[in-house]
Amino acid sequence: MISDRIKSNLRQEFKTSLLPKVGLVILIAIVFMALFAPVLATHNPNTTGHFDDGNAYPPIGVSYDSYEVVDGEREPYTVEFSSDHYLGTNNVGQDVFSRLLYGARTSLLVGVLGTGLAVLMGVPFGLVSGYYGGRVDDAMMRVADVMLAFPSLVLALALIGVFGSMSIPVPDPIVTAGFAEGMPAATTLPGTVTLVVGLVTWVWFARVARGEAMAIRNEEYVKAARSLGASNATILLKHVLPNSLTPVIVLATIQVAAIILLESSLSYLGFSGTTLSWGYEIQQGQDYLRTAWWVSTVPGIGIVLSVISINLLGDWLRDSLDPNIEGEGGGA
Amino acid sequence: MAFGKFLLKRSLQGVLVVWGVVTVLFGLRAVTPGDPVNLIVDPAVDHETRERIRQELGLDQPIYVQYFEYLQDLLVGDLGYSYQSSRPVTTMVIERVPATLELALAATVVALVIAIPLGVISGTRRNEPADYGATSFSLVGISTPNFWLGIMLILLLAVQLDVFPTGRRPVAFHDALWMFLTTFYVGDLLTWFHHIILPAVTLGTYFTALITRLTRSGMLDEYGKPYVTATQAKGIPETLVRYKHVLRNTMIPIITVLGLQLGTLIGGAVVTETVFSWPGLGLRLIAAIHNLDWPLIQGIIIFVGISYVIINIAVDAIYAKLNPRVLDE
Repeated sequence: MISDRIKSNLRQEFKTSLLPKVGLVILIAIVFMALFAPVLATHNPNTTGHFDDGNAYPPIGVSYDSYEVVDGEREPYTVEFSSDHYLGTNNVGQDVFSRLLYGARTSLLVGVLGTGLAVLMGVPFGLVSGYYGGRVDDAMMRVADVMLAFPSLVLALALIGVFGSMSIPVPDPIVTAGFAEGMPAATTLPGTVTLVVGLVTWVWFARVARGEAMAIRNEEYVKAARSLGASNATILLKHVLPNSLTPVIVLATIQVAAIILLESSLSYLGFSGTTLSWGYEIQQGQDYLRTAWWVSTVPGIGIVLSVISINLLGDWLRDSLDPNIEGEGGGA
Repeated sequence: MAFGKFLLKRSLQGVLVVWGVVTVLFGLRAVTPGDPVNLIVDPAVDHETRERIRQELGLDQPIYVQYFEYLQDLLVGDLGYSYQSSRPVTTMVIERVPATLELALAATVVALVIAIPLGVISGTRRNEPADYGATSFSLVGISTPNFWLGIMLILLLAVQLDVFPTGRRPVAFHDALWMFLTTFYVGDLLTWFHHIILPAVTLGTYFTALITRLTRSGMLDEYGKPYVTATQAKGIPETLVRYKHVLRNTMIPIITVLGLQLGTLIGGAVVTETVFSWPGLGLRLIAAIHNLDWPLIQGIIIFVGISYVIINIAVDAIYAKLNPRVLDE
């Protein structure tokens, strides 16, 4: 399925171009942050605390002017950063740095699981549609057309209306093993959001897989297998599926980025299922732009860096493997 | 295939898609847990009143009867009544269309005005500093969530520098225009313009980035084709080659991609409207979903689906006119 020629193309592109290397380094750093969040975090991300007058700490190196009212008079003073909170705190005193780490977990979890779900639904659908062709294909493609007429964010919102918000606590092995005291014992997986992002993006995989199956079904080796008496199911599994994987892999890479953007939009709109999400944090910070600009700014940088790094790797795969594919892209 | 027949075929397919959208939404509403009567009256109200409301809404009927009645009403443009406000959904949708349309068109204008020149520069000066600038911009542009971009613009240009408002739409474009045409008062138009700039840039950035990318790669592809060498060999001025031949052929696939990306534009509008409290369909949809106001949710999404289908048929028609070979496929 992955030939030597493809491997050498990948290696060649990686060597000659700087961008995939940059993407890889950033992505590894983010995955590392997400995996070891309980160890790297300086505070429990859910613990609220207050500066004695309710002001948020600014990030290290930043200070800002505030005032307190003493005997009816405004007394100006400067809020200094605390070396304990690298990126400051939010409006309820939670540590922004620790929440950034945990937010990476949510984004990557939803991105990878949601894409996996979309692949599992879309690829078989597309392969069957393209392989059988004719009326089966016509009917299945009309279903895909209906899916495409819904903007993915809008359909996702409608589905959240149906499913409600379900959150699945996943025990954190690092904390359970006792390596990170005081950290949350479980990571919350936003179940509805994960399900929904898969349900609204599978159709792109179906389209790509269908195109591949249509091309492959007329190949000589498929005809040979058929004349030897192989059943359709065998041909689909043993010949069509492995040979259509390259463009699916490229699309899956790009879709992880698209789903991270979609998840952040849904969280921003208030449908997250977990409060440890970059989109949710940005929404929380929007009301405090005048005083605590960092609360919204920091998680946004997290999103942009993750999405850029994945897109850079996606471009690298696409340029090396060169399948003609289309995807919805950003979504947000 | 003749153009008329092509259009007819696409329209029939479109009707089928809209029917599918309506059916899916009806199904989603039917499987949503919870009693809609509770959204209309206090849950503590007596059984008799509840039954009366159920009857008025037709919820006592078997599901297939409800479905066919919904389809029948839809054919005459009746989308039912909102659970929350009891107002007709059709009115609630139509009154919000201008705001969203203004935003979407303004974003498209922003995108086209910036992206096409940028893409042309990038595509004709490959691997020069201008090209690196344009490609970096488009990479960041497609990777930035638009709600965050909007908030950063508010932080910088509204909160810190105070040159733009943080949101809201104090005046509708058509009212402002009418005011200008009847009384030559330009103030309302300027207010409108002042308020739409940040939302339009927020919504338009992703598309600017995307179109820049597409224009660049399209130009590079076209330049590799023999006809360009032929026109150059004939001594036709480079500017003419670039704009009359290369750019024109590059635009054909871009139109198709834009039609398909309309969903992203609408999804983006939902988010952008929330960031800037822009009173469009998106803001109404979010409120409807928070309230589980299904008649309104259905109405808005069906409207969006119909618009998507119509615009894509128009895009296909333009494509077929520009490139008649597709009629034979």
